[in-house]
Amino acid sequence: MKVLDRRKMILVNGVLLVLLALSVVGCALLGPIRLDLSQAFQNIFAPNPDAEIFFRARLPRVLLGVAIGGGMAACGVVLQALLGNPLACPQMLGVSGGASLGGILGLIFLPNWLLPIAGGLLGEISWVPLAAFLGALLSMMLVYRFSLFHGRLHPYHLLLSGVIFNSFIAAIIMFLNSIVDFYQAQGLLFWLMGSLSTRAYLTVAFIWAYVIFGFLWLWAKGLSLNLITLGEEAAMQLGVETGALQRQVFVASSLMIGAMVSVSGMIGFIGLMVPHAMRLIIGSDHRLLLPASFLAGGIFLCWADTLARTLLAPAELPVGIITAFFGGPFFLFLLYREGRRKLTL
Amino acid sequence: MTAAIQTRDLSFAYKDRPVLHAISLSVESGEMVGVLGPNGSGKTTLLKILSAVLRGQGEVKLNEKTIGSYGRRELSRLFAVVQQEVRVNFPYTAAEVVLMGRASYHSAFALEGKKDLEVARASMDLTDSLSFSNRYLHELSGGEKQRVMIARALAQEPKILLLDEPSAFLDLKHQVQVFELLRRLNRERGLTVVAALHDLNLAALFFPRLIILRDGKIYRDGSPKEVLTEKTIEDVYGIRVRVEQDPVSEKPQLFICPCV
Amino acid sequence: MKHSQRILAVYIFLASVGISGAFVAFAQAASGTQPQRIISLAPSVTETVFALGFGNRLVGVTTYCDFPAEAQKLPKIGGFMNPSLEVIVAKRPDLVIGVSSATDPVKAREMERLGLKVTLISLASVSDILSSIKSIARLLGNPAAGENLVRNITRQFEKVKKRVAPAPRRSTLLAVGLRPLVAVGGKNFVDELITLAGGENIAGNAAQPWLNLPDEYVVARAPQVIIQAGLGSDRGESAKHWADLKSIPAVKEQRVYIYPSDKILRPGPRIGEGLEEIARLVHPECFAEAKSGPNKGSGCEGSRP
Repeated sequence: MKVLDRRKMILVNGVLLVLLALSVVGCALLGPIRLDLSQAFQNIFAPNPDAEIFFRARLPRVLLGVAIGGGMAACGVVLQALLGNPLACPQMLGVSGGASLGGILGLIFLPNWLLPIAGGLLGEISWVPLAAFLGALLSMMLVYRFSLFHGRLHPYHLLLSGVIFNSFIAAIIMFLNSIVDFYQAQGLLFWLMGSLSTRAYLTVAFIWAYVIFGFLWLWAKGLSLNLITLGEEAAMQLGVETGALQRQVFVASSLMIGAMVSVSGMIGFIGLMVPHAMRLIIGSDHRLLLPASFLAGGIFLCWADTLARTLLAPAELPVGIITAFFGGPFFLFLLYREGRRKLTL
Repeated sequence: MTAAIQTRDLSFAYKDRPVLHAISLSVESGEMVGVLGPNGSGKTTLLKILSAVLRGQGEVKLNEKTIGSYGRRELSRLFAVVQQEVRVNFPYTAAEVVLMGRASYHSAFALEGKKDLEVARASMDLTDSLSFSNRYLHELSGGEKQRVMIARALAQEPKILLLDEPSAFLDLKHQVQVFELLRRLNRERGLTVVAALHDLNLAALFFPRLIILRDGKIYRDGSPKEVLTEKTIEDVYGIRVRVEQDPVSEKPQLFICPCV
Repeated sequence: MKHSQRILAVYIFLASVGISGAFVAFAQAASGTQPQRIISLAPSVTETVFALGFGNRLVGVTTYCDFPAEAQKLPKIGGFMNPSLEVIVAKRPDLVIGVSSATDPVKAREMERLGLKVTLISLASVSDILSSIKSIARLLGNPAAGENLVRNITRQFEKVKKRVAPAPRRSTLLAVGLRPLVAVGGKNFVDELITLAGGENIAGNAAQPWLNLPDEYVVARAPQVIIQAGLGSDRGESAKHWADLKSIPAVKEQRVYIYPSDKILRPGPRIGEGLEEIARLVHPECFAEAKSGPNKGSGCEGSRP
């Protein structure tokens, strides 16, 4: 009987950790500008373009990419488990959209003095992630409510409500676009397509805190997530408090999604692709799938961002375009395969 | 013998549709009971209440304690449920599914230990499903899937086994196999078995005690001979049948009319 | 917020949609009749019409048309990107002037089908802007006014060019947005203005007129001057935005400027003043009136890069 054991856990996570470390270094070294590494490290403390490119322009965004890629992948895993649907992901469900809307509304309506908690010297901590979190949570609840039929979550209803919800959100965003100050409207593309552009290590640390906390918390639920894929009733009969589990997962993932979207805008498809790719390789046991997807998501977004910076140099593409470019065909392939496989959907 | 399951005045309604009315029954430890009744009579609802998925009005006790006083993990070590339909949305192997039955025996972070693997293996052996333990659940046939689910239930090492129409999607051979297995578990291990059934003849052959529900109430409760009478069947199911005693098994068997 | 930034937002939108190209479409002008009821679909067009002396003939402008002050009192026909077809038609104009890169061609065709005379001008380059001033003047029946206006602008250009000629070129970054960083690219009239002002646009080789620039690119190209939009109402924030990248010459030598007005970025009759604004920021030393010393008078020979 082949089952998940300690050796597999260590092996898979170990390999992924190594790949992640290599990716972080690699992506910080790569880009449209050629770096002179020796210069970068010799004169770290003098104003030095190579050091600045490596440490200030690239490294923060690479680290942010790891956090967000990992966080999105982890959220994708748990949402798919909870909703019993392999096609669920934060973007598809409208949760990222809700987070964006929350963030935008927060940006517009939160008074300026309320925006940064400790602006200026200390960086960019603000209330906007909180607004985005509320947006994510509300949309999560709405989508869940609308797709519940006779106590069972029918996947097609779920996807449909997600799609409609997304359109609705987009309509609101466009409406806001036409009535608000155009300075704020400038940032709309950023919200809709995502960008990892940042130089503030404090912001990166902030997001890491959210993401790591959320991830660890979700990882602890790994076994329950396995059980809930057997169906809500079966999970209850196996000892899972399903109501509490659902609430906790929704809150934790909304928190993560809200924080991530507020800093980087909507970067979609990671939560869809990475869990599936990892399932193909290592199986569906969530105790391994969660950490593996987290690491793999970080690796993926790292490289996607490098592509975004390099493909049309000197211009920088929104990174959401790169992920969508891979994600779209992948999603179609998934639909095709699910249809053929005839899982009891 | 302690009463494994006991209900008193149990009622339940879905929103505005009443399903169960004042059900009072008692199942002793080690009994093997079949629950019969037409669709909509409340069989599945009753099982759901007994397995703490739904909560009705009235008293439900497991092993002399009210069901509400148990934690869910505790409950899952006490009884196991085999459902009618196997619904898995992700690719799990049969072995992984069976091991999920062990979930309440170890902490959330721990991986399965040796004992868990042993129990799982024994359960699969018992249900003749060991040979496909590494195949994906969704690739198995209906019968094979059902055997895996029974193995999973057994892996919980329960004292009570609840089954909801376990033979619904099985071919005849496998139906008989499942019932023979249940009888064996009941006799050899003293497992209390309560199963909702739709095949009256098989129920008569394998279950020493039958309870028939009609419109959410207990219509008759007793041995197959007592319960399966022509009048009862006509009252409950609305069809006329001929009941005769099978000389080999000495159990009543039904023959559908036209009653030639 | 600044109106120019709104216009800029529109250009950014276009850049990401990837519309480029310039074409000038002339509708058949009825010989001898001058249009009396004009609708402008862009702030720069409104300014041009006023500058040519025909402001009193405007019957409709966009909500962003705010210069000159009289324009604000004119009836509005909608936004820059989404003018209202109904309102336009209701005003019974005999000439509608739009911008080829901004006005929806479908809407333009609709208007023509409804019998309106529609002209789309191109504002993609400085020469386009100047020739569009002339063509609008012709359409309105006073070509001499157009020639005059263009001559004035050209004179302003020449003055600035002469001022900055002695100074060495300074690499320049002109950013209209900070988060995300949106910079002037190539094939953009602002890029030309930067060059005329004695600067060198660090993103001038880009194919897009407006683009998101990654920070590493800015560090690598080491601009000597950074001119940027304010981050909303907090100008202090904008100045601090580059503070940690000390290897950039502009940061080291404190040549990070918030550009003070929107003249720079409107492709209309004020580009001459806009050029001077840019030049003052790129080469402030060429505009300093020295009181005494070797650089008395004007002149900035020998100024450091």
